[in-house]
Order: sequence, then structure tokens, then C-alpha cells
Amino acid sequence: MSLDLVKDAKLLEELSALADGELDDAGALCARWYSSDRVRSAWHAYHLIGDVLRSEDLATAPARDAAFLEHLRARLAQEPVVLAPAPLASRPAAAGSAARGQGRVAPAWSWRTASAVAAGFFAVAGVYTVMRPSAPVTPPGAALASAPRPAVPAPADAPRLASADAAAPVPATLVLTGKLLRDAQLDAYLAAHEQFAGSSALGMPSAFLRSATVGAPGR
Amino acid sequence: MMAPDSDAPLVERVKQGDVKAFEMLVVKYQRRIERLIGRMVRDVDLVPDIAQETFIRAYRALPQFRGDSAFYTWLYRIAVNTAKKSLMELKRDPTVAETARASRDEDEETSRVENELTDGETPDAVLASKQIAAAVNFAIEALSEELRQAITLREIEGLSYEEIAEMMNCPIGTVRSRIFRAREAIAQRLRPLLENRSGERW
Repeated sequence: MSLDLVKDAKLLEELSALADGELDDAGALCARWYSSDRVRSAWHAYHLIGDVLRSEDLATAPARDAAFLEHLRARLAQEPVVLAPAPLASRPAAAGSAARGQGRVAPAWSWRTASAVAAGFFAVAGVYTVMRPSAPVTPPGAALASAPRPAVPAPADAPRLASADAAAPVPATLVLTGKLLRDAQLDAYLAAHEQFAGSSALGMPSAFLRSATVGAPGR
Repeated sequence: MMAPDSDAPLVERVKQGDVKAFEMLVVKYQRRIERLIGRMVRDVDLVPDIAQETFIRAYRALPQFRGDSAFYTWLYRIAVNTAKKSLMELKRDPTVAETARASRDEDEETSRVENELTDGETPDAVLASKQIAAAVNFAIEALSEELRQAITLREIEGLSYEEIAEMMNCPIGTVRSRIFRAREAIAQRLRPLLENRSGERW
């Protein structure tokens, strides 16, 4: 894929700035990482140059570097997705292409939101299971159980998500590996992940999805 | 107060789920991490594996990375721990040869020549490295004073664009442009060397 020469230069200048940490939003460049070999070879070259300027023994044959990345990429593809949900009381700012430090978003605790988020998530990412080695829990109260949700059949004997009730959400680390069970508490869990709202954001292979951890204030 | 981490924009994106940003960090630090591991582990054939393991562990642990230290400092510690762990596992494995088990600080008598031959590098690769180093040095000498100064202040002195702008008495935009042009000029000279014969391409 070839870019207009002028746009090309502008993009590479931004890449150069990113290499120095002097670019606020890396999104546009990251988006081209797989598709543009110009971007990849420039990124590699700029850093090789820096390494060599500082120390000649870092000059390595480029074939080694490319092979290293290829091998690592295959391993990264096998990594399970780890989600670290933020407690609803203090969630980090919404992820996405917005610049850093856009401000905190107050939790919109409504079941319509939860269902919409959940629906969006499933529409794009398919069906996932959250697996926890825990005993089944009793379903939450009547208000939660009556929330409208898309009709997705859940196996009757499958394990349920063990979690705290809505009043005191407990952060937990869960691993996504397979089919998802619909569960009112799961809907609540998904509502905590703002980054899944507006599901077009999930344009990437789901195996690579990571969630921001609980952000410390003032990061 | 800690200087802003130049990796912050990419780390931020990795935390948002962008694995491409992580790959970019890998490309940035792979050589340095391999060199670090190579200093700790005598069998150089093990270095790429330990380096791979290091990056996988970093990827898994990144949700817990809070930016208390610079990303590279954190990555460096993971590399050291991964190398130590590998060395310990080797020592415990009775099928591993004595020589492979040794760590570098136990190495006493081995000559440099022997080290180079047991090195994973083929003569071809050693030559390619020397050529790259020579090309970079030649290219940087060929730059105009302004471009050379800009890239030197950035890469060797580690100054921020703002600091360089002050030193060179020019706007930050000019600093950014000069560093970019310096890199492109050097990369031009490197390109024939980087398009390697084995067919592997970026």
C-alpha cells in the first residue's frame, strides 16, 4: 500500500516524534503497523540508528530482528486475554482514540446501558466464556433479574460467575477463553468496561484485547 | 520528579488493548534486551529464547505496570529475572551440558575467539553488523552540523525536544524536523544493507 509522498513524509516525521515520546497520540501510527511496511521499516531503522549511535555492539543483522518479531508475534497470538475490571466507583477514563487525560466519566449505572454494552460486545466479538474456579452463586435481586437483555441461550449446567453484588464490586482477574454465559452479574461486569461501548472499537482480533487496570488518580 | 517516559504514548495504547503498540516496543528494545541477557548467560544460543520469554512476561504483566518507573527500567528487571530463572533451571537439569549451564561470571579461561565461534552469529551476520555500524558512522559525519547536533543531543545526550530547542535556539518544530531528517538521511544509507539477502523483510 503506497501513500502520497507528502503524506508519507508527514507520517514518518510523526513516527520519528513518537520514537522520542514527543507525540501525544500513537493511534494513527499503530493503525498502520501491519499494513505499511514503510512504517515498520522506518521504526526499525530509527531505533537501530539510535542503538548504534550509543553503542556499536548493538548493530545486529536485520534478519535476526525480523525473525525475532515474527516468532514473538506467533506467541503473543496464543496469550489469553486478561481483563482486570475497574471497580465501578473509580474507573479510568474511557479508552479509545481519545487523547489521554480527557477526564473521568461518571459511571452510568443503568441496566439499559449494561445490556446495550453487552449486546454490542457480543455482536462484534462473538460469544465468550468467563471461567472461574468457584461455586455457583445465587442470582442477584429482582431488579437486576428483570433487566431486558438479548436472548442468548446459556447452558443450564455451566459454571456461573462468582462475584460480589452490585453494591460492593470486587475487582477480579478473569481469563476469557471460550463461550460466554449471559448473567446479570456478567452484564454488570461488562458495563464496567466502557471501552467495549461503541463496539466498532473492537476492530482488532479479540485475542489481543487488554483492559486498562484501575487507574491511580493523577496518572 | 521523574522525567516523562518517552514510551508512555505506546504503553498507554498497549494498556488499551493494542498489541501493535507492544510490537513497536519490542522492535525498539529487542537488541538491548538481548545484549543484557547475553551478558548474563554464557550460551548465546539461549539468548533469543530468554528474550522471547521476557517480552511475553512483560506483555502479561503490563496491566499491572503503573508507570512508577520508566517502562524500560521495568522491562530490564523482567529480563534480569527471566535470565536468572533460566540459569537456575539449567543448573537443575541433568541432561544439559556443563558448558551450557555456566553463567558468564563463572567463565574464566575462554578466549575471545572461542566465544565468537560459539556465538550464534555466523561470519556473515558479524560482517553485516560491522557494515551497519560503519554506515551509521559515515552517514552521521556526512550530515550538516544542525542535523548532526540535533540527533546527537537526542540520541546520545537523551535531551527532550524542548531542551534541544533551548540549546540550539530554535523552535521545537524545527528540532523535530531536524531529528527526522537526520534519521532519514542515515536510514537512506542503511537501506541497501537492511534489505537482507535471505528474503526476510519488514
